[in-house]
Amino acid sequence: MSSSIGGDRKVSLGRSVRGTTPRLKDLASTPESPRTPLFRSTSSAYGSPGGSFRTEDEYIVLELGSRFVRGGFPGESTPRCTLSFGPDEQRRVGDYRQWDPEYTLARRKRKRGQEWGQEYELYQMDLSQLDMGLVEDKFERAMREAYNKYFLLDPKPRRILLALPPLMPRQLLSTVLGVLFGNFQAPSITLMASPVLSSVAAGLRSALVVDIGWAETTVTGIYEYREVHQRKSIRAGKLLSKEMAKLLNHELDEWIDDPNAPKTEISFEEAEEVLSRVGWCKSRPKSNRRTLYFPARTSPVLEEFEDAVESPEPVITIPFPRNVPPTELTIPFASLAKPAETALFAPNTALNEFDDDELPLHHLIYRTLLSLPMDVRGLCMSRIVITGGVSSLPGLKTRILSELDALVQQRGWDPVRSYGSASERHERILRERKENLERRREEGTDKVGESLNPETPLSAALQEQEEDAIEHKLAHLALKNGPPPVCTTGGTIRGVETLGAWAGASLVAQLRIRGIVEVERDKFLQHGLAGANREKDVSVVPQRQSIGPGVGRGAGERGSWTLGVWA
Amino acid sequence: MAQPFPYTYYSCDCYDSKTASIPTKRSSQPPPPEDEDERTFDPRNPRSNYSLYPLEHLLYCEDCQQIRCPRCVIEETLNWFCPSCLFEVPSSMIKSEGNRCTRNCYNCPVCTSPMMVNSLEPPDPNTDDRSGIGGPWVLSCPYCHWSTVDIGIEFEKHTGITQQLSRIANGGKPIPTQKERDKERDRRKELESKKKEREILSESDDSPTVDRRRVDGSLSHEELFSNLSAFYKSQIASATPSNPFSPHDINFSSPSSFSRIMNLYSSTSSKKQKQAKPTPMREAASTLEGLTIHDSAADATAIERIKKEGWSITLSSTQKHDQLNPNMQFDDELRPVATLLRTKRGKRCRNCRHILSKPESKITSTRYKIKLLALNHIPRLSLRALSTTTAQQNPTPGTSAPLTFDYNALKSGIPTHFLLTLSNPLFDPIRVTLATPSTTPGKIQSRITILCPQFEVGANTDVWDDALSSSLSPVKRGSVIGPDGQIQGGIEAGKIWDRGRNWTRVVIEIVPGFLKPVTGLAFGGNGGVPEEMLNEDEDVLEIPIFVRLEFEADVSAEDRGLSDSKESEKDKREKREEAFWTVIGVGRIAAI
Ligand SMILES: [Zn+2]
Ligand SMILES: [Zn+2]
Ligand SMILES: [Zn+2]
Ligand SMILES: [Zn+2]
Repeated sequence: MSSSIGGDRKVSLGRSVRGTTPRLKDLASTPESPRTPLFRSTSSAYGSPGGSFRTEDEYIVLELGSRFVRGGFPGESTPRCTLSFGPDEQRRVGDYRQWDPEYTLARRKRKRGQEWGQEYELYQMDLSQLDMGLVEDKFERAMREAYNKYFLLDPKPRRILLALPPLMPRQLLSTVLGVLFGNFQAPSITLMASPVLSSVAAGLRSALVVDIGWAETTVTGIYEYREVHQRKSIRAGKLLSKEMAKLLNHELDEWIDDPNAPKTEISFEEAEEVLSRVGWCKSRPKSNRRTLYFPARTSPVLEEFEDAVESPEPVITIPFPRNVPPTELTIPFASLAKPAETALFAPNTALNEFDDDELPLHHLIYRTLLSLPMDVRGLCMSRIVITGGVSSLPGLKTRILSELDALVQQRGWDPVRSYGSASERHERILRERKENLERRREEGTDKVGESLNPETPLSAALQEQEEDAIEHKLAHLALKNGPPPVCTTGGTIRGVETLGAWAGASLVAQLRIRGIVEVERDKFLQHGLAGANREKDVSVVPQRQSIGPGVGRGAGERGSWTLGVWA
Repeated sequence: MAQPFPYTYYSCDCYDSKTASIPTKRSSQPPPPEDEDERTFDPRNPRSNYSLYPLEHLLYCEDCQQIRCPRCVIEETLNWFCPSCLFEVPSSMIKSEGNRCTRNCYNCPVCTSPMMVNSLEPPDPNTDDRSGIGGPWVLSCPYCHWSTVDIGIEFEKHTGITQQLSRIANGGKPIPTQKERDKERDRRKELESKKKEREILSESDDSPTVDRRRVDGSLSHEELFSNLSAFYKSQIASATPSNPFSPHDINFSSPSSFSRIMNLYSSTSSKKQKQAKPTPMREAASTLEGLTIHDSAADATAIERIKKEGWSITLSSTQKHDQLNPNMQFDDELRPVATLLRTKRGKRCRNCRHILSKPESKITSTRYKIKLLALNHIPRLSLRALSTTTAQQNPTPGTSAPLTFDYNALKSGIPTHFLLTLSNPLFDPIRVTLATPSTTPGKIQSRITILCPQFEVGANTDVWDDALSSSLSPVKRGSVIGPDGQIQGGIEAGKIWDRGRNWTRVVIEIVPGFLKPVTGLAFGGNGGVPEEMLNEDEDVLEIPIFVRLEFEADVSAEDRGLSDSKESEKDKREKREEAFWTVIGVGRIAAI
């Protein structure tokens, strides 16, 4: 990234919001633009003769998150293991208490001064709170379990394809790489950003990836396998789980109904278990719908469900064997949808009261879309990929998509919040579409984009664009060879399912596509361990080629090193 | 800590010596004492859990003369086997079939017990012969009684369960093989493209909606993955300029990002290839290509199910986690879990690559060909309460003196004496120096005093040698046991307590700390500062002890050979040192 030349390597978390309407040419020069191109070379099976790819190389595919690591092999649809970092994983060797039924039945207490769920994290983004040595300890133990218990490999060293969040702090990355190179002998590690891989696993080249993870939700605009914009909010799994605990504590106190009993404080595990088993998310309340616009596929089941006032009110019974005394709590089924409501959508708070990093999910997505260049936005809004641990909460995806749809209907795409009438807005959209189409037609002729900026080599993104435009013209010629029209769907809110970042990484490794960010073991051990003082200057990845403007610090200096997105 | 008190843990310091790759003999350069004082080992630090081991778990590298923990060894898989049927699996099969038993070994998806193949027919009590019983067969759990009947799966044969299971979906529907799936996909795609052709020719500009081309029913994770994979393969194949005369070239006048990158990075791309403008890789367009549009009906159905059927049909996080595909929610999605294979592994020193342990290759054998255990090289430290020993040595009938010391109820503020025994596994006598912080680190501060921190421990020689040796004579002491079972005298600073052939005992005085801060005057009950809850195990009294050994040992044959072979005098000795941290779990402080 050009912004990080010579500067410190802190990853800028809050990416600036551009005030003016972004245009395509901005895409090529903005700091967050061309990121990690996904495709550099193909396997020799498909690629050109003499391609540099070593077919005999074998890979391990890893995905790293703040509370888990998944590992497995290329071409498999699911990882061989998903390892977590709870207290049971952090015990001393020879401490077998988690197999003691008496112990496991007792309610666990949170440690003093620790945040909700902190004991279950591998890392957190706030490095000041983080003991990097402990991260190394935890990660090393987990990887040892993965290799010894699940991978069961022969001693041959394996390359690693590592999927990880794009904003991984450098120190953290260095720790992770250090373990993989040092203790597990990986000859090289290829880094790929999880959102890009999520879009690969959705079959998409462009997408808006909404990753509702543990500590934060990140919304990433992906255009032609590159991240073009990212925003985040703390409305994610941790907040949700905290809200669930709050709800259950309250309900249990009411249920037990003894003023002398100590206040219930359920454990993290209990809250997580209830959340993952019977937590759910209500569909968008009908009364709030101003513009009724729904894709035809909204099921009648859902409509019926929202409207019916059921009587008697459905209830659900949840066992709490760790409560003292063990109990079964019966509560209205509807109350189990409240935590998601409060934590993720915060309907009872005015929008201007939120900090930038605590926007409700639909607003976060809307704002991300708003800051995308128009063409990209058109594609992304029809390719909303919701993923991450929390995304499997029943009803959540539907809710997010309908909230977003309503927001778009209501506000359109003016950066300044507008309450313009529906007809005005409609006209404007039509106008925009027309202009857009015309512009693309012009660009579609031979001198593509040179009018935009002669100095700047075109980003791949720019070039791809005009094919969509001329597609109509060529449709008759193309016959079956042209992309099906569904590939150019845009302009409406549409959700697309993904098999997840790990599956995306597995596909990429199976297809033997090499990423640009590849770290070699020798180089890493040589420079990465040379001492912390040098670390600032030494980037550990060979950047073999520069990819147009703005990529890495090495633009123009061939053979220099880059960490790509993670620089 | 889950181990019975008192216990001893040994620390391997490889975690903070990143220099493990540089061969150093630590013994030659002991760190300066001030340095050690600064870095008192804190058993409360979460990191300590990763460096502390029971002595039995540690190996020892004789070349590096250092402890080796699971973290500073390199493991090599020697063979693979199923822990359930003990079948040894060749490595070629690991590659092709994966890491699970492909015979009839399955674990219950509900409770993880090993499952059995049973006939649905009532067993004939007159025969033990399984083949006599007719099918259909099921996998069932003898512990919780879950069986494949619960997911609608029966087997025709009682052997080859894996093959049969891979062809039956829950509910009993057959699962097509990969080949059949590929064929079906091609057939459907052919159909689709024909339809599209007709549409385009008939000028129908309206794009066919996704919904129309959706195949009925939702595809499994596995199926979608294979569709995606096939799609990408076909895209890459058609986008590669290996077929410059393909009809793709005439369609589009500009290169795609894919081919751009191809041209940029493929050093072998010729001019001709650059001119060729292949079809850009497009995105997936249907479920056949792995595209799935979000369907709110699935969400609604899941919610309805939970509402109607409740907690019991949902899966616990452990149950989900144990499944091969953890993306499931309801109990009718469960599959029996094939038993995970295990390995026998050899261990090498990460530093010098010498073999430290190597099991016998026979699956059923639990023996080792080589196993260099740390307990043969490192003295064992063990703690015992002094009052117990004495009380047992002098049983006084009729008294109410406590015969057993309750390690789970240490008394705050009361000085208590313990005996620390060091036993020496080496064939040379060792000089031991112990160091410990005067108060334990952490919230609850207990005071520790080692009365005799420097002493010698005899060599682990034969008993016969011991008898001949006169240098170490037993210590005489005149201790008196008071009426309360406590020692009245005989404990002297600087003197060891007791000594044997290869062991020495010293006294440690411990004053267990207070769980609650002692406030001067407790006016008004617990008013004022709210009481802080103790963390788990915070009431456990653990003391870090730094152990340093000095001894003279025979120069190893190798080293001697290197130095000078002429001087093959028998008594060529070298001075050696070892140092390491230990943590002794004394007991649990009683709440007052
Ligand atoms: Zn170690
Ligand atoms: Zn088996
Ligand atoms: Zn069972
Ligand atoms: Zn060694």
